[in-house]
Amino acid sequence: MPYWYYDKKDLQNTPSYREGIPNDTENRYRKEGARFIIDTGSKMDLGYNTVATGVVYFHRFYMFHSFRTFPRYITACCCLFLAGKVEETPKKCKDIIKVAKSLLTEQKFGTFGDDPKEEVMTLERILLQTIKFDLQVEHPYGYLLKYVKCLKGDKAKLQKMVQMAWTFVNDSLCTTLCLQWEPEVIAVALMFLAGKLSKFEVVDWNGRQPKHNAWWDMFVEDITMELLEDICHQVITELIGATRIGKIVSKINVGRSQCIKWIAL
Amino acid sequence: MSASSSSQAATTVTSVNDVSALFQNEKKYEELNIIGTGAYGTVYKARDLHNSGQIVAMKKVRVPLTEDGMPLSTVREIALLRQLEAHRHPNIVRLLDVCHGGQAMDREQLVLYLVFEHVEQDLDSYLSRAPGPLSQARIRCMSYDILSGIDFLHSHRIVHRDLKPHNLLVTSAGRVKVADFGLAKTYDTEMKLTSVVVTLWYRPPEVLLGVSYNTAVDVWSCACVLAQLHSRRALLPGAADTDQLHRIFRLIGRPPREQWPENVSVMIDSFPDYEPQDLADVIPGITPLALDLIKGMLVFEPSKRLTAMDCLEHPYFTEEPLM
Repeated sequence: MPYWYYDKKDLQNTPSYREGIPNDTENRYRKEGARFIIDTGSKMDLGYNTVATGVVYFHRFYMFHSFRTFPRYITACCCLFLAGKVEETPKKCKDIIKVAKSLLTEQKFGTFGDDPKEEVMTLERILLQTIKFDLQVEHPYGYLLKYVKCLKGDKAKLQKMVQMAWTFVNDSLCTTLCLQWEPEVIAVALMFLAGKLSKFEVVDWNGRQPKHNAWWDMFVEDITMELLEDICHQVITELIGATRIGKIVSKINVGRSQCIKWIAL
Repeated sequence: MSASSSSQAATTVTSVNDVSALFQNEKKYEELNIIGTGAYGTVYKARDLHNSGQIVAMKKVRVPLTEDGMPLSTVREIALLRQLEAHRHPNIVRLLDVCHGGQAMDREQLVLYLVFEHVEQDLDSYLSRAPGPLSQARIRCMSYDILSGIDFLHSHRIVHRDLKPHNLLVTSAGRVKVADFGLAKTYDTEMKLTSVVVTLWYRPPEVLLGVSYNTAVDVWSCACVLAQLHSRRALLPGAADTDQLHRIFRLIGRPPREQWPENVSVMIDSFPDYEPQDLADVIPGITPLALDLIKGMLVFEPSKRLTAMDCLEHPYFTEEPLM
């Protein structure tokens, strides 16, 4: 069975990097591709699972191919197209292309070639081979819901926390976190971050055992504080880039200093 | 197409089709010989060149492409097969890899290769090579293996549809693994293109009558296989659809009129009012509990048949002594 997780060294030495694309540029391409899948997906009323599956395909694809060889927006379209089939929310290729065209500049859409549909069809076969037909992908969303059911505390606060964690999962799609950690681990980290930012401390949970130091010990073994902070840091960096941090600060009503402290993790 | 002046000028390739020619897989498998040719394609014995020459079984399936590329049903079925593999069920053949033939330019069809672990023999050849009757302990162990595999598939909403000794692999340790499942819809399209005779011997009446069916079909087929473990010959070796139905009704009796499904082209009156036979006479030497189990599986009405899970909990498996 294929293994889809990489350490940070592998994530720097990618096919794109080897073809002369700096890491920063590649990360921007990844973010733009992911964002484009999210935007196209939501415009077509595709669910969060389909969108997330498409984004994971996209990230995996570029662990084997270079952005120089495969322009990002057409790959993104193809990933969403295939994800639609897998998640049983199929969309016609020509409809996806139509939406893509409406979202992209003429120049960017130019990378789709003379016959965009035929290009996507060809790319589908390359994509399938690249992701080794490993089509079913799990996402952190389901784990968030599973975890929150076990936590004890004020219902409204828990609700707020899980909602915030949910948006962090959306944001995490623009990072390479899905190439680093299993969805269970990402869900724990982002729930932890949401708890911190909404000033909700989980002190008790169902199924607690003496050996448990934190609620997540119940679900995933060996999660260190270092690991959680690393994951949170990656998502927060993404948020700063998206200039959404200000919005979050005002929405969750924590002091900016508190947030900065978190950013400085 | 896009002679852009931005920083990505050098990165844009005008067409994916241009680059697909460059995209070639390095050879991963070396075909050795044909193991079998079935209705669904050809199975090759092959060497995994990336894995110290491990011997594998490669199944070649032709998938006709639709206007929207890979058919939805095939995508779904392969996704599910891949997902099942994560469970590594001991009675399910391992799916090691899925790849395609690389002819990225062929717009009509895609040649898919499903790479499975290679198991030396199937139950068909195992039974024909057996020097004498199998021991009761061996029969029970194999029966349990088969039903466990089927129950696992059913719990993932997969109907095998074509269970027979040929699709049951026997490892060198004598354990049974179920093979050849999960691509029913993909096969359907391919089946129309080939005209290979499919064995009817393990088909339940609802399939022969052409009415809708569910997981219960596999339980019927299992019963035929289990009976065969005891007698080492096929229980219902019919020659054609009608003959198969005659043989079934001669064994279990013609069903009462009210059980005959509606909207079936075959009339119940085209069969004599057969009386059920005693299964103990047909499978000599079978133990009472084994007999009771098989009887519970060979029931005309699918909804009255035991489920695979029921079978696993049957006293035949749970009550100790075996003579």
